[in-house]
Amino acid sequence: MKRVIALTLILLIVGSFAFAQGGKAKTDDVQVVKFWYHFDNPETALNPLIEKFEAENPGIKIDPERISWDTYNQKLLTSIAGGYPPDVAQVKLWWQPQLVEMGALLPLDGYIANWDGKDDIHDRIWELTRHSDGKQYYMPLQMVILYLYYRADMFQELGLAVPKTREEFLDVAKKLTRDLDGDGIVDVYGFGIRGARGGHDWWGTFVLSSGAEFFDANGRSRLTTPQAIAANQWFIDLYTKHKVSPPTTPSDGFVEVIANMKSGKTAMTIHHLGSAKELEAVLGDKISAAPVPKGTEGYWTSFGDEENAIFAATKVPDAAFKWASFLAEAENNAIWQKSSGQVSVNKSNASADADRFLKATTDSAEFAGVLPAHPGVSEFVESLWPALMQQAFAGQITSTQMMQSIEAHFAK
Amino acid sequence: MGQPPLRKKRDLLPYALVTPALAITIAIIFLPMFQTITYSFSQYILYKPQEKGFIGFENYKTAFSDPLFASSLIHTFVWIVSIIVFQFLLGFATALLLNRRFTGRGIARSLILVPWVTPSVITALMWRWMYDGNHGLINQLLAKFGLIKEFIPFLAQTSTAMGSIIVALIWQGFPFFAIMLLAGLQAIPDELYEAAEIDGATKTQRFFNVTIPMLKPVILTTILLRTIWVANSLDIILIMTGGGPGYSTYTLPVYSYIKAYKGMDFGYSSTIAVLLTILLMLIVTGYVRNILKSQED
Repeated sequence: MKRVIALTLILLIVGSFAFAQGGKAKTDDVQVVKFWYHFDNPETALNPLIEKFEAENPGIKIDPERISWDTYNQKLLTSIAGGYPPDVAQVKLWWQPQLVEMGALLPLDGYIANWDGKDDIHDRIWELTRHSDGKQYYMPLQMVILYLYYRADMFQELGLAVPKTREEFLDVAKKLTRDLDGDGIVDVYGFGIRGARGGHDWWGTFVLSSGAEFFDANGRSRLTTPQAIAANQWFIDLYTKHKVSPPTTPSDGFVEVIANMKSGKTAMTIHHLGSAKELEAVLGDKISAAPVPKGTEGYWTSFGDEENAIFAATKVPDAAFKWASFLAEAENNAIWQKSSGQVSVNKSNASADADRFLKATTDSAEFAGVLPAHPGVSEFVESLWPALMQQAFAGQITSTQMMQSIEAHFAK
Repeated sequence: MGQPPLRKKRDLLPYALVTPALAITIAIIFLPMFQTITYSFSQYILYKPQEKGFIGFENYKTAFSDPLFASSLIHTFVWIVSIIVFQFLLGFATALLLNRRFTGRGIARSLILVPWVTPSVITALMWRWMYDGNHGLINQLLAKFGLIKEFIPFLAQTSTAMGSIIVALIWQGFPFFAIMLLAGLQAIPDELYEAAEIDGATKTQRFFNVTIPMLKPVILTTILLRTIWVANSLDIILIMTGGGPGYSTYTLPVYSYIKAYKGMDFGYSSTIAVLLTILLMLIVTGYVRNILKSQED
């Protein structure tokens, strides 16, 4: 009897390992497209879009999975390394160099050439999303451009004009930094800087517009030129010397920066359309927007993007492309933006009655830029920039040391 | 040697019963451990699969000349020692209080567990907002009582960030000490105190000659367990500061995590993890040997 139990147990264990691989339902007639995304509320737009897609494309099922943004990139990379990536996933432009280097992406040029919707995508988006090897791996999904948020009421109260240059910006930031009740403590700060992860966009606006360049036309770094180091120093000074940004700046992330705008702790900050609704709900007409100020060399603001990629490991490339291109078509893309709160990638969705936030976005379209196509960008954004910036704000390293460290990172 | 054949057949059962547990342990503990050790001798950057390969002790050489590794090691040390010392003192004081008779003791004993049972993520978020330099509760209270004029950006300054997180972790972990020591206190027979009292021992003498020696096994085990947990903890640091500002709250687990999941450098990250494990093993074996010795005395 005991022997029987023992054998049964062993069989069960061995069996469960053997069948673990065969667990996936093999259906010949239905193709399943595994799709990863990362926004919060699928009810708003994703579920209706999936229903619409499945009705239009019998034989294809979408299997959506929401991944939290904080761990999205790491989960995606580990799923690729593990050999089981999704078929389609929402991706960022600055991940592209890594993904291409890993050989994880399927080039889409052949598919796109035969896709009717290609001419309805803004040309600038095709330009920005094409990889440096000349191939198109990404299907456009949504875009945003970072601009300057400012408190219109405070500007009016102090008789200030919206700053057009870096110098004007510093001037108004100083004037907006005020002690309102005369107790010797600053109540409002001119400019909310994001000093924690994700703040490189704030930094780029002032440093990459004033002489610093990751790579020039010849592929040489221009991060440690005297001009670049001075531009970085100018940015550090906003916090350390002019004190126009709150004392909490080094640890302020997205949540804190927006909370400070809402509570009136700061009078200006930089962000995109994604926070317009939230800010307008609290501040109403008091909040307005304009393109970022110009640096010594020109303008720079961050083109915030989101695309869909199809992974080379997919068994259903045709169905995957159908889904990715479906989401980039004008009608569907407009529905998608209801969830994302961002801007459609289609020419035919550009609305004539744009509000002030959308206007600031389109006014910035010409000079919006992206970080270089380099596999080191991801680490730069995720951990290097925040650590260096915080050290520079704390006076532990100089502007020169910070720029040298960034240069060394990109020279690897 | 001549065992009856019947016995041999029966011997299969224990193995069969142990197999599931063993298989799971091997699959989720030993295989990853072995893999980590292998990675630590390899160049393995996730997005450079072509360059993956064995590189001997290169990663270890890098670690020993890496200033960030050195500072993370110091932070880890400060982190463990300060947390364990304060958690122990606070936990011991709480245990002694809870061991007295007073009304509402039952409620107090359950309430004391709240920090310990609160999930780390919630603890970290809660403390982060309490420390907040613009709207935080701690700043508002300090200002209300006139102790500060300007709000202190606790988590944004390199001088205060580490201390602030340590306080949060002390708060979270002291109930564990309190409960373990309370259990230990309750196990001490009253006769010992009575006997000591008859012998003319003062309160202090009774504490140091009865309570402490009787509690010693509990104290040593609890400290050992907590040292291992605290050394490995990283969730609270990650949520409260993410290692910042600068590198001021990098401990070895944080450094290893960030290297792996932000830098995608699994090789070097594994090296850091292996070195941390070796350090912990040295501490633990030294410690256990000491316990055994003191038990023999």
